[in-house]
Amino acid sequence: MNSGSPVSFDNVSKRFRTPKGTWYQALAGLEFEIKAGEFVSLVGPTGCGKSTALTLLAGLEQPSIGAVNVDGREVDKIETSTGFVFQHDATFPWMSVYNNIAAGPKFRGVKNYDQLVRTWISKVGLTGFESNYPHQLSGGMKKRVALAQALINEPSLLLMDEPFSALDVQTRSIMTDELVSIWETTGSTVVFVTHDLEEAIALSDRVLVLTAGPAKVKADFTINLPRPRKARDIRFTEEFLEIYQDIWSVLRDEVDIAYQRQLVAPGKGK
Amino acid sequence: MVEEFLSEAAIKKNRNKHRVKVHSLQLGLAVLLLGGWQILADHKILDPFFYGRPSGVMHQLGVWITNGTSIGSLWVNAWVTFYEATYGFLAGVILGIIFGVFLARNPTAAEIFAPYIKVSNSIPRVVLGSIFVLWLGLGSVSKVALAFVLVFFPVFFNAFQGTREADHKLIANARLLGASKRQITIKVIFPSALSWITASMHVSFGFALIGAIVGEFLGAQRGLGLLIATAQGNFNPNGVYAAMLIIAIMALSAEWLITKLENRLLNWRPTQISGTEL
Repeated sequence: MNSGSPVSFDNVSKRFRTPKGTWYQALAGLEFEIKAGEFVSLVGPTGCGKSTALTLLAGLEQPSIGAVNVDGREVDKIETSTGFVFQHDATFPWMSVYNNIAAGPKFRGVKNYDQLVRTWISKVGLTGFESNYPHQLSGGMKKRVALAQALINEPSLLLMDEPFSALDVQTRSIMTDELVSIWETTGSTVVFVTHDLEEAIALSDRVLVLTAGPAKVKADFTINLPRPRKARDIRFTEEFLEIYQDIWSVLRDEVDIAYQRQLVAPGKGK
Repeated sequence: MVEEFLSEAAIKKNRNKHRVKVHSLQLGLAVLLLGGWQILADHKILDPFFYGRPSGVMHQLGVWITNGTSIGSLWVNAWVTFYEATYGFLAGVILGIIFGVFLARNPTAAEIFAPYIKVSNSIPRVVLGSIFVLWLGLGSVSKVALAFVLVFFPVFFNAFQGTREADHKLIANARLLGASKRQITIKVIFPSALSWITASMHVSFGFALIGAIVGEFLGAQRGLGLLIATAQGNFNPNGVYAAMLIIAIMALSAEWLITKLENRLLNWRPTQISGTEL
């Protein structure tokens, strides 16, 4: 159990060079704060810059203007105290389940990682699959590998970029449940990017609604549902539906704006 | 209407039937071609003086094996060609991988070297054989050098491309997991470029043999290339074919070994599309 890192975005803008040579602005003056140990979801329409915010937090990219701070320090390089679970499969296809999960400790030169790796394998329910390669696993199992791979390093900040979007609906609700129960034992700060409002509410302490790109925070909702939660069942409660309607009424306009833009400029995705 | 699933025995029987059919047709094709050649040569429709004949090739092989060739034992000559090709192949593969991965990981170096690589790649490399014979003499070294330059470029280009196409997500993931630049090269880049590299190795051993044999044509004291050149000089087509046969056996054995190695190194890949490999 670690304490988790506080996070802040100070007036962050980010632009990218497109292949055509023009500039694409993903973020414009994004500002928000996250307290240590909070589970925060960023929701917003397609292409609004949610994923960009995560890559800045991880130090994979630097902001064009402004600063991203984690633990009171400006992020200017890759922070290895940050864990990242990618949208698409980023497990190493040439490593077995065991070696994939052991990758972090091995890269960091940790001695005697065997016990730790086996603990995490059992935590994510992959005992018996240690020597399988990723292509032999189902989508849900690959996600478990990715989750254990990130969490074994005990990150104080965990970033997740639509981690379950490629899964079928049933597997997805199981994984959401498991993520909640694993996270409740770690205490790390989580920033979770998703399209799925239900998923966001079921998981989070706070939901930030972002505007259609370039992203700004449009609304900030605190989710006062009790913990520990059963993410799978909570979505049928009265409070859940109320929160859902509140957030959706804000999000809907942004989704419409983003959709209209797509119709005007076909092919100009994120 | 089928009432039951086929039994395992029935499936096996069907499969064996298919295999027997394919193999007998393959054998039949060989008999047809070689027999046709033999008959046409026996009836002087194909002049055996220029075109040789299968029986003559077998006879020539028998003579070489029992009495040796005009330039010494057949095995010694075959061995010389084999090790020239193998040394050239190994040197080309190793240096090709090192340079390919290095340049792909260092864009500035790649920019600097790009015109030089393009120019040296555009030289017809067989021509270099003459220069190598002048520089390095009639011994094996000049053949190894020629085999090396023939192998180096395809391996280099594949290693370069394979490295550049390594998945950026995987590299980002490795960096976040704490990998150093060196660890990324060894544990992430190299394995992902490996299927490109092994693909180039299949063609490369053939190139290495070409290098060794052309080198021996251009000037040598031993080797299968010299044996072919001698047979050609003596108007002995059977000798040329016999040497070709030995080279083909060598190439096929190397190909078999490389495929074994590839399957071992790439055992993490999903099973390949079924069907005959060519």
